[in-house]
Amino acid sequence: MGFLAPWFFAGLAALGVPILVHLLRKHVTTPRPVSSLMFFERGVQSSTRHQRLRYLLLFALRSALLLMVVLAFANPFVRRAATATNESLLLIVVDDSFSMRAGTRFDDAKREALALLAAKPPSQKAQVIALGGQPEVLTQPTMDEAQARSAIERIRQGDGHANFGELGRSIRSVTETAQMPIELHLFSDMQHTAMPANFADMVLPPNVKLVLHDAAKGSAPPNWAVQSVSAPAELVDPKDPKRSRVQAVIAGFATPQAAKTVLLAVNGKAIATHKVNVPANGRATVEFAPFDIGYGFNRCEVRIEGGDTLPADDASIFVTRRSDPERVLFVHAANDTRSPVYFGSALAAARQSSFALQIVTPEQTTDLDPSRFSFVVLSDAINLPSIFEHTLAQYISRGGTVLITLGTNAGRRAHIPIWGAEVKDVHDYSRAGTAATIGTVDFTHPALEQEQPGRDKGGWVETKFFYAASVDPGQARVGARLSDGTPLLLDKQIGEGHVLLFTSGLENLTNDLPLHPIFVAFVDKAALFLSGRERLSGSQLVDSFVQLRSSTQPAGEAATIEVIDPDGRRPLSLREGRTVQTFQLPRAGFYQVRFANGRDAVIAVNPDRRESDLQPIAPDVQQLWSGTNDRSTPLQTAVVDDVKYRPTSLWWYVMLLALVVALAETALASRYLGTQREEA
Amino acid sequence: MQRFLDPAVLAGISSLDLLAKTVVDGFVAGLHRSPDFGFSQEFAEYRAYTPGDDLRHVDWNLFARTERCYLKRYRGETNSQLTVLLDASNSMQYSSGPPPKMDYARFIAASLFYLAIHNQRDAAGLIVFDDDVREYVRPSTRHGQLMRLFAGLERAEPRARTDYGKPLRHFQALLHRRGIVIVLSDFYEKPEEIVRIVEPLHFHGNDVVLFHILDPQEIKPELKAPAILVDLETDREMEVIPEYAKMVYRTKMQSHLEQLRTRAQAAGMDYHLLITDQPLDSALRQYLSLRQAGN
Repeated sequence: MGFLAPWFFAGLAALGVPILVHLLRKHVTTPRPVSSLMFFERGVQSSTRHQRLRYLLLFALRSALLLMVVLAFANPFVRRAATATNESLLLIVVDDSFSMRAGTRFDDAKREALALLAAKPPSQKAQVIALGGQPEVLTQPTMDEAQARSAIERIRQGDGHANFGELGRSIRSVTETAQMPIELHLFSDMQHTAMPANFADMVLPPNVKLVLHDAAKGSAPPNWAVQSVSAPAELVDPKDPKRSRVQAVIAGFATPQAAKTVLLAVNGKAIATHKVNVPANGRATVEFAPFDIGYGFNRCEVRIEGGDTLPADDASIFVTRRSDPERVLFVHAANDTRSPVYFGSALAAARQSSFALQIVTPEQTTDLDPSRFSFVVLSDAINLPSIFEHTLAQYISRGGTVLITLGTNAGRRAHIPIWGAEVKDVHDYSRAGTAATIGTVDFTHPALEQEQPGRDKGGWVETKFFYAASVDPGQARVGARLSDGTPLLLDKQIGEGHVLLFTSGLENLTNDLPLHPIFVAFVDKAALFLSGRERLSGSQLVDSFVQLRSSTQPAGEAATIEVIDPDGRRPLSLREGRTVQTFQLPRAGFYQVRFANGRDAVIAVNPDRRESDLQPIAPDVQQLWSGTNDRSTPLQTAVVDDVKYRPTSLWWYVMLLALVVALAETALASRYLGTQREEA
Repeated sequence: MQRFLDPAVLAGISSLDLLAKTVVDGFVAGLHRSPDFGFSQEFAEYRAYTPGDDLRHVDWNLFARTERCYLKRYRGETNSQLTVLLDASNSMQYSSGPPPKMDYARFIAASLFYLAIHNQRDAAGLIVFDDDVREYVRPSTRHGQLMRLFAGLERAEPRARTDYGKPLRHFQALLHRRGIVIVLSDFYEKPEEIVRIVEPLHFHGNDVVLFHILDPQEIKPELKAPAILVDLETDREMEVIPEYAKMVYRTKMQSHLEQLRTRAQAAGMDYHLLITDQPLDSALRQYLSLRQAGN
């Protein structure tokens, strides 16, 4: 305890005033003479003593009043240890990621969290956060223990991938609003795969004290898992030896060498079994071929027989659709005869595509209905019949997709069908003597997607471009640019559909792209993107998003989107079904989706396989994380001290007490003065 | 004239001579209006002659008419002797308002002396006492006796404490002749003790009158709050509460007065309670009645 203004204690000298007054009062009392005390007796002493006591009480009240006022001006305070008292926020974070399904980790974590909650002081606030794919705040800071307990009990085992970096970001945002010391208790299996790439992302604010509760309790148990499955999303011919096969990678984490039986099931029926020797702590590939499935969406599963610590990751699901080859309308200019050849060859060589190309000239498009095709390619076809162009525009607005390439005809007419903009200029690099090369490539675009492009930009760096049209990209997404900055691949969303604009040709006159292997991959990816199969293919990871409709379409005109989760329930309400643009896949299993353009899809969702590696974070790293505050700079320490010991001013309480004393003094003094008047 | 008998008015008169004259003249003037009182020599009764009677008292006119010898008896008219015993102890100076008990007692004594000497031609004397005899003026009818008595009263200032035993032994030695003895005191002593001490005076043939002089506050004291009381004679202090003064004290005082009255009358003495806020005529009236009864 201390005083913020101790010099006000000089006012205690005023205590002499009531002392003087009461002493004088005592002297004023003069005895009263009588003739004789013969008939008098000493009165009941308590009465006289009461009077004296009353005066003393009055004196005490007056002195106390002065003392209180002086004390209030001195502004007393107490230094309350914030961490020792109940002013800290008890933040309980329970890891409900996929790896917590191993053994009894999840139940142990919840039990320990409930025990911690029960042991907290009643006046301490608590907040509960579930750490799955994204940290989910389940309660606001509350002193209601029942609410916090209910929140902990409501946490269910999830399929997400925990990320301590995300946790750090969430805690930092919590500290911005909480403005109080935080005692963070993390109940987790401390998977090392949950660590972010940068340890700094895990660092917690200075006023957060981290306490780790390891639910794994020891080293990682051996665990086998289906790490990945490679299977065709679309299958036309099950007897095609190149495409009709399923490859699965079986991985062991902290495992000895073992022979495992791997099973392939389609729609719940096992159709093939293979034995595979998985090396110690290694991987083995198992292939199922041919892959004989029926028409439609086939819900497939690759499973490892025999259980282990984490049986949930012993299976991996995927969806393969068997259908007839989809038709692609290829419209080329009359003078462009090479493009169909190159494009058709590349499409046929593509690994995952199964399309049948219908090649026509613009004059032959009058009676064609684009909606009967998976997508449309306009290869240097500048002059389209207006009827077809109008039909094509409607087709795109309803979700159709078109690839437009600009060959040498772009120099003769600036109009680009469907696109909505014109050619600004034409770059004829052959005249300058030096061909243009690829400048930048956006490998995140579905048509250009490559996981690890490398220095050669995935093979694009070797291509040369001799002729390219210059188009203002406007709102379109630029997928690739030439070395001089000219946009090479543009993606524009129109209505529910997409239009890809390739500002050069698909033949070997305007560029040498068809001569390079990257051309086949480009055509394959572009075909998948244009046909929409990349949204429907194989499998997705838990917590990934599916785009259900374009963002440009007005909500009022949108068709209802339907999503059925693995349990057969519809997670979207009717209102949400008409407005929502994306949907996050929160759990593992098969999701049925009907998109806004009317296409159906079945999406298989698997947990992130990083969750299968149960190896915990090294103890020294854990100590480093939980002890981050101790190694902070002196400035941070000062901040922590300031937070730990917070001065709480007591002047208000002292003034309140002084008011009470003043009222009591007034009542007693008026009564005393009344007695004096009677005596007078 | 009644206002001249008001003690509060009399207190403003400094001269005892003037005061006594005022009181007695006023008292006598009022007395003439009353048909019930008279003190001149007058016929009392006839009594048959018996041998040995003085023949001078035979009513010869009656004998001539009836030939019976009767003696004619008159109310005797003799000079009496008045002695005032004045208590001059400290307790007599108590006063809750003018006059103090001592002054009141002096007023009464002065008035009695004036009445006795000036009107009745009686011898009058004074004994002032507290714990001893402080002043003694021999009863006499000599010229200047009244002044001596008044001077003795003037000198009688309250002091010391009352002790009836010691001065009473002197009283018996000083009072040789029968007469009227008036004791002026507040009698703060046990009634039986007072009567025991004063009673011998009555045995010697004196008509003893006890004038009990008290202040109104001594009979009905009023205390608003607990107070510390100081005994004027002993200086002893005592804390007293109002409830006691209101209830128990009054009861005790009434009992004391009643006992003193009863015991005094039982011993053949007269007792009169004089409150200092009452007129003085009751005391004078008492004296005259005793004077008349004594004849």
